[in-house]
Amino acid sequence: MDKSTQTEIFFGPNHPGVPGNYGIIYEFEGDTVTSAKANAGHLHRGFEKLMEERLWIKNTALVPRICVEEPDINEMVYAMGFEAIGEIEVPRRADYIRSIILELARIQGHIFSIGGNAAGIGQYTVMHWGTLTRDYILDIFEEITGARVYHIYIRPGGVRQDIEDETFDKILDLMDELENERFPDLEKTLFENPNAQKRWQGKAVITKEEAVEMGATGPVLRANGVPHDLRKMMPYAAYDDVEFEVPTYENGDAWDRIKIARDDMLQSIKIIRQLIQNIPDGPVQTDLGNGLKYKIPKGDAYVKIESKRGEYGYYMVSDGGLKPYRVHVRGASTPLGLYGVREFLPGTRIADVPVWAKSLGICPPEFDR
Amino acid sequence: MANDKKSIFSPVTAFKNLVKKPETVRYPAESNDAAKRYRGFHINDLEECIGCSTCQEVCVNDAISMVEMLDVPAEEGQRNERPQIDYGRCCWCGLCVDVCTTGSLEMSRDYSYIDLDPDTFIVTPDQHDINKVDHPLGYLRDENSDLLDLKRIDIEMLDPEARVDSFIEIVEGFSKEQAEKEASRCVECEICTDTCPANMNIPQYIRGIFDEELEESVQQIYEDNPLPEVCGRVCTHKCEGVCAISHRGEAVSIRWLKRYAVDNVDSADYKKILGTEKIEQNNKKIAVVGAGPAGLSAAHYLSVMGYQITVYEDKENAGGMMRYGIPEYRLPYDALDKDINYIKSLGVDFVFNTRVGEDITLDELHEQYDAVFAATGLHNGRSTRVPGTDNNNVYQAVNLLADIARGKEVPVTKNLVVIGGGNVAMDIARSMARLQMEKYGEVNITVTSLETEDIMPADQEEIEEAREEGIVFKPGRGPKEIEVNEDGSLAQLCTNCCVSVFDEEMNFNPTFDDSDIENYECDMVIEAIGQGGDNSYIDDQFEIEYAGPRIKINDFSQTSVDWLFAGGDIARGPDVINAIRTGHDAAVGIDKYLNDEL
Amino acid sequence: MRNEKELLELINVHLEPQAVEIKREQNVSVELAPKNLIQALSFLKSHSYQHLSTISCVDWLEEGAFELVYHLFSYDDYINISLKTRIKREPGIFQTAKEIWPVAEFYERDIHEFFGVEFKGNDNLEEMILENWQHLPPMRKDFDTREFVNDQYEWRDYNGQKHTD
Repeated sequence: MDKSTQTEIFFGPNHPGVPGNYGIIYEFEGDTVTSAKANAGHLHRGFEKLMEERLWIKNTALVPRICVEEPDINEMVYAMGFEAIGEIEVPRRADYIRSIILELARIQGHIFSIGGNAAGIGQYTVMHWGTLTRDYILDIFEEITGARVYHIYIRPGGVRQDIEDETFDKILDLMDELENERFPDLEKTLFENPNAQKRWQGKAVITKEEAVEMGATGPVLRANGVPHDLRKMMPYAAYDDVEFEVPTYENGDAWDRIKIARDDMLQSIKIIRQLIQNIPDGPVQTDLGNGLKYKIPKGDAYVKIESKRGEYGYYMVSDGGLKPYRVHVRGASTPLGLYGVREFLPGTRIADVPVWAKSLGICPPEFDR
Repeated sequence: MANDKKSIFSPVTAFKNLVKKPETVRYPAESNDAAKRYRGFHINDLEECIGCSTCQEVCVNDAISMVEMLDVPAEEGQRNERPQIDYGRCCWCGLCVDVCTTGSLEMSRDYSYIDLDPDTFIVTPDQHDINKVDHPLGYLRDENSDLLDLKRIDIEMLDPEARVDSFIEIVEGFSKEQAEKEASRCVECEICTDTCPANMNIPQYIRGIFDEELEESVQQIYEDNPLPEVCGRVCTHKCEGVCAISHRGEAVSIRWLKRYAVDNVDSADYKKILGTEKIEQNNKKIAVVGAGPAGLSAAHYLSVMGYQITVYEDKENAGGMMRYGIPEYRLPYDALDKDINYIKSLGVDFVFNTRVGEDITLDELHEQYDAVFAATGLHNGRSTRVPGTDNNNVYQAVNLLADIARGKEVPVTKNLVVIGGGNVAMDIARSMARLQMEKYGEVNITVTSLETEDIMPADQEEIEEAREEGIVFKPGRGPKEIEVNEDGSLAQLCTNCCVSVFDEEMNFNPTFDDSDIENYECDMVIEAIGQGGDNSYIDDQFEIEYAGPRIKINDFSQTSVDWLFAGGDIARGPDVINAIRTGHDAAVGIDKYLNDEL
Repeated sequence: MRNEKELLELINVHLEPQAVEIKREQNVSVELAPKNLIQALSFLKSHSYQHLSTISCVDWLEEGAFELVYHLFSYDDYINISLKTRIKREPGIFQTAKEIWPVAEFYERDIHEFFGVEFKGNDNLEEMILENWQHLPPMRKDFDTREFVNDQYEWRDYNGQKHTD
């Protein structure tokens, strides 16, 4: 290549086209990216080391901050890891409540990222709608847990407090409103918009073989027709008690992934309705004793759940003491953000780089930690 | 892809929002109230808060520090510190509210604070939050989110029928799992250490049990208390009264945990654990008068410092009131001997059956030794001196208890009355109940005291256990006369109602209602209304200052005669742990005195 | 579709594990010697364990070892398998797995940056998350964060109170 025609661009970390504080350094020629690499680490806060210095209960306040868009998955996996090593049973009502929280988090995450994707192609109305709809779900979270974004609600042994019946009614009302008003509006304005379809169809294709090789899961795989969902393969919480479908498409492009986000939201509404209808009575916590002296035996566990972007896992090691010995975070978009950028971004047009980054669901806080 | 609908008119749907009400909240014209459980700024009730610093312990970001408050008194059960929160670090997780031992820390629904000066973001919350405006309460702890373990593990105890049949120890002890679970309840606030008369390192030895390192526990205990088998059974446990957990739950079983720790370490390992296998001796000699808890404590600490100790005891064995006053079902003799034998093994000499003042004088001790510690205790029972107390069937509790301890036969009648409301009255009543059960198959004992039950000085547990064993209480009665039959046997104890025990200046000045008479039939009366001492061995030879009935001592247990130190019931009282403290203080004081620092 | 017992039989027959354990439902853990790990990875990959979740590293300071854990998953068996191996802390060298899974290059790069483990055959071990880091690899147990902060930075005083640490 003629060096005089190549330019290096620092795309991000402060840019509306990237999903978070994350940069891509790419070289392009003409209008096409020729090589790219990730400029990661802007959100590194040292969580894994911080967690080793704090008691087990204190880490529940630290952990949600590892994934900003969907904080509850962190609390869930941390609690699951603790319970796996300590062989602790969680009451059934707590399982249902955890599933409701996770599904609400999934809906708010998806609607937010659909808004983000729309912003990436210039549809700012839908971006505002995404933030707005998410806000109503955050109101529900505020009522259940006491905080809007970082809930610190799911704890080892169960959940922090019980949910009242009025809140369940409010959730059902909100689900009706979403299904009957807001999602159809979104459907008409964004999904039937030929501009959006043209911008997303055929772009940022990741094939099935590439996805499996890379370790990408979730929408990336399902856009290729593979119906793998950890909620069905390795059921956790109350997912073995509900019925839902796992939507798939055939083409593996950005358009399919965004449609999967929309379909996932509708499935989540279905799941939430079933959970609220069938939730059993009972305690919401197993008593684990004095919070300042939680202790579990020596051991380790790798636990994972299905976040909106794919497999999200923690590898936790305990040495029998009052603090975790090692917590390793496996973000769902780690392979995509670090490896996928180098391998699969070259060949896209510059204007489609935001489409690539956002539709794959790259979440920088989870691999920067 | 072929099924995707498209329409170029699709964005037109957005226009309908032109006529709808906007969804944003126009703040601050429209208010945006937080939800009921919102985690906002903190509120603290400064009177309820005890400064235990558990909130500081659990804060994830080190946002809380404890600051001294000048207008809060540092009294028993609390510290004069209160939490100060740095809102630059706080993340509003609410863990501090979940763990608060008194429940004084709460959160309001307030979430907005603006100021150009960053120093104002560090606040000591009081009943107003940072904005100094009252907001409704937000996040509150409930029984689900509570992080403390409030229920005590019940220790295994014999039930009343089994108890009263013998002198076997009533309390059976913790198992390993029970002890570790009970030890896990401690939040290590150290308010107990402040209250303990000996300032024992309580959270540290409890932590040793939790970490399964009993050797660490023994080391921590022996720093301030060389009689843990005794205190682990009979201490008055003031610590448990101020335990931070006791505010919302049940106090940590500090006494039973101490007992668990030393019960499960072999005395053969003590010297290695405590580092006393080889003690460098100096050539100074100290005499200790009295082998009770104060004398034993002084002997222990002085030995460890390298002094040579000789203990003079007028009874035939060491222990003082621990052996000759406390019955076996509360403090078995092999437990007491375990503690005493360790002190003996440090090289302390005991001279028994030797009364200072008769067999050897205090002046002789002063010549032969470099310093003297006197702790002879109060072994003479006081009498009510009402008519009839000179009869042969009227006894003193301390004498009977000493004889029972020696295994001597004591008179046991079918129907007896104990006068007194303190722990000694409980001890003698319950001991006699066991002897009555053995001899007659039933218990017939009445305990009567001036005090009504709410102000009886005996421990509440002792009164309840005595009741369970069949003892009847008649509180609020004053003895008037013991009626004697012609043949010298007793007929009954006549009592009047005791209207009040203390007068307005809190002096002991009981008043009676002579018209209210109750008589209790009995053939034996035991008096347990208090004890006096015999300090003639000191007073006959030296001028020494008194503070009321007790010998006056300074913080190092030194009397007004500089080589003479005193402790225990004759100088301070009223229980074993205070005696141990005076002994330890005397050891430190004697060491300073002999190095010319006092 | 195998269950956990059949998977362990397969491993016991074809690989040389030092220890195998069924941890929970759908979770199996296998310990191997360092020289056997790479061929175990490619063996399992060809037996439907195609998904590499991540590679973790644990620093066992008192035992003088790093433990590398490879988490694999099979879309046929639905079983999670963790392959563990321990290498000596000094010199901390192991082989790369990027020939089997190219994405392992980045997991190894992360472990190199934070623990100091060198992976032979992986020539892309430069800094990724940290920038111009001159000190001990920070996730090692002998790296003290409080000491580091007190050395590098000045504490600010608020309200006239000196910071104590």
